[in-house]
Amino acid sequence: MSANPSTPTTARPTPRVIAILRYTWRSCFPPKRWAAILLPCAGALLFGLLAHASDAGADRAFANVAAEGIFGLVMPIAALVIGDSVLGAEVRAGTLHFTWLSPAPTWQIVLGRWIGGASVGVVTIAPAAALAAIVAGSPSSAWAAFLAAAVGSIAYVAIFIAIGCMTRRTAVWSLAFVFLIERLLGAALTGIAQLSPTWESRAIFVGLLDNPPSRLVRDGIPEGGGAIVRMAIVAAVALALANWRMHHMRLAGASD
Amino acid sequence: MLLPPPVPRHDPAFATDPTVTVDGVSVWFGPKVALSELSCSFGPGVSGLLGPNGAGKTTLMRAITGLVGVNEGTVRVHQLDPRRDRGVHARMALVPEDEAVPAGLTARQFVRYVADLHRIADREAPDVALRTVDLFDVGDRQVDTFSKGMRQRTKVAAALVSGPDVLVLDEPLNGADPVQRAALIALFKRLGAEGRTVVVSSHVLNEVERMAERVIVLVHGRLAAAGGHRAIRDAMDETPRHVFVRSDGGRRLAASLVGLESVTGVTFDSKRDGLVIQTLQARELAVALPRLAKGASIRLLEVRPLDDSLESLFRELVR
Repeated sequence: MSANPSTPTTARPTPRVIAILRYTWRSCFPPKRWAAILLPCAGALLFGLLAHASDAGADRAFANVAAEGIFGLVMPIAALVIGDSVLGAEVRAGTLHFTWLSPAPTWQIVLGRWIGGASVGVVTIAPAAALAAIVAGSPSSAWAAFLAAAVGSIAYVAIFIAIGCMTRRTAVWSLAFVFLIERLLGAALTGIAQLSPTWESRAIFVGLLDNPPSRLVRDGIPEGGGAIVRMAIVAAVALALANWRMHHMRLAGASD
Repeated sequence: MLLPPPVPRHDPAFATDPTVTVDGVSVWFGPKVALSELSCSFGPGVSGLLGPNGAGKTTLMRAITGLVGVNEGTVRVHQLDPRRDRGVHARMALVPEDEAVPAGLTARQFVRYVADLHRIADREAPDVALRTVDLFDVGDRQVDTFSKGMRQRTKVAAALVSGPDVLVLDEPLNGADPVQRAALIALFKRLGAEGRTVVVSSHVLNEVERMAERVIVLVHGRLAAAGGHRAIRDAMDETPRHVFVRSDGGRRLAASLVGLESVTGVTFDSKRDGLVIQTLQARELAVALPRLAKGASIRLLEVRPLDDSLESLFRELVR
């Protein structure tokens, strides 16, 4: 006769980062947010179609379109929505309290949110960029587009999380970062472009192509693996900044 | 002959065995001062935080929990700074006033999440917490579809799941129906009786006096009064009140009123064609006025307190 097994009521606690990650996926992306992420991703496919309008070969045409349209517009906008969803929106809604008011170290909160957001970027923005290459008739560029968009969106999400820790107007400041600092100043100053996910992801993409258009090769910016390392450093610095800021945040409620 | 040392008079703003101390705290948001040089403390049992809207109750609760840093002064919970020592959050919980709840989560998932953040090993803990607030049966419904009262109760469950010994509840009875209100009040009293520090805010005195032994009244970010709820009630009753009376014999009524002990002044309001009576004993006046009018064959057409809102009473307290 076997003993009557009692149901165990204790178990090893879920690691906090995993709990935060699961929460991020479940709670930070309501249907409207998904629509706001997928809309620019659909735009990437339109840019793929647009490449057919060019007289240049499919590979060169897609490279030109991707550099401006996908890495300069689609990727930052979709990543902005993701970055805002995982932190800024919660700060504004007053729901970050539930996470912040726990003994979880702030670095775990930042890390969990970043992994959650970056993973959404990797499964939405990067495949959209790869699909755009296929739609453009340049399947050989698909891998390069995927990798460049994945790395760029991962870095962007880290930056937008840091911005979310610094201001309640995350979307406004994130747009200012993309269009004023990266696009405007980054176009003129190589020093800024070297730290910009837009320019660096473009450099990763160009570096992985066999015969990229020469106008896309920018002097003074590392390409390929060098650019990936640069983006990893940018993401790490942004996350460290976010962690530091999270200690000093003033978390008012939604009504404030 | 040596006299025994004088027994220090206990300041009702301070708990005898404090777990939460607020010392000279000022908080401002730009030009707006939310708390001004506030000092008080909270200990085991239920303490009420009373004040009109905008008095600084929510800011004080956010400062206690570390959500908001203070510009001046110090806040300590178990002698730790809640802004710096994140470990203190293992022993403290807040139920915020905001209706905001995480989207897309069921009540059970939400409470489970908070339990995971506190590394609670007991898998039953979320269900126990949901049962405590009578939400176990709807635990699989999404929190953002709940009514305001149910959301508040879910947040109470999330706060209780870690078994905190300091519980900060910002207007926790908002939106609750009378039955749930009674159940929550009983719960908070029980938690206080267990030796936990429970700080409950409200702008309704009746609510606070039903659950708190000690009340701290805030007005305009300052400490207005502190003590037992009876002392607060008496203080409020002793504040001058103004009552507007319109009748068909104003002058005769005024002459009769000045003879009443409860009346400290009578003025004629020509704009509204009536009398404004000032009294320190509103209850006595309420009894005496109809009798007086009946005796003098005067018809009372309108009797209306001019400053009976809680806000005006609170304001009187800080004059």
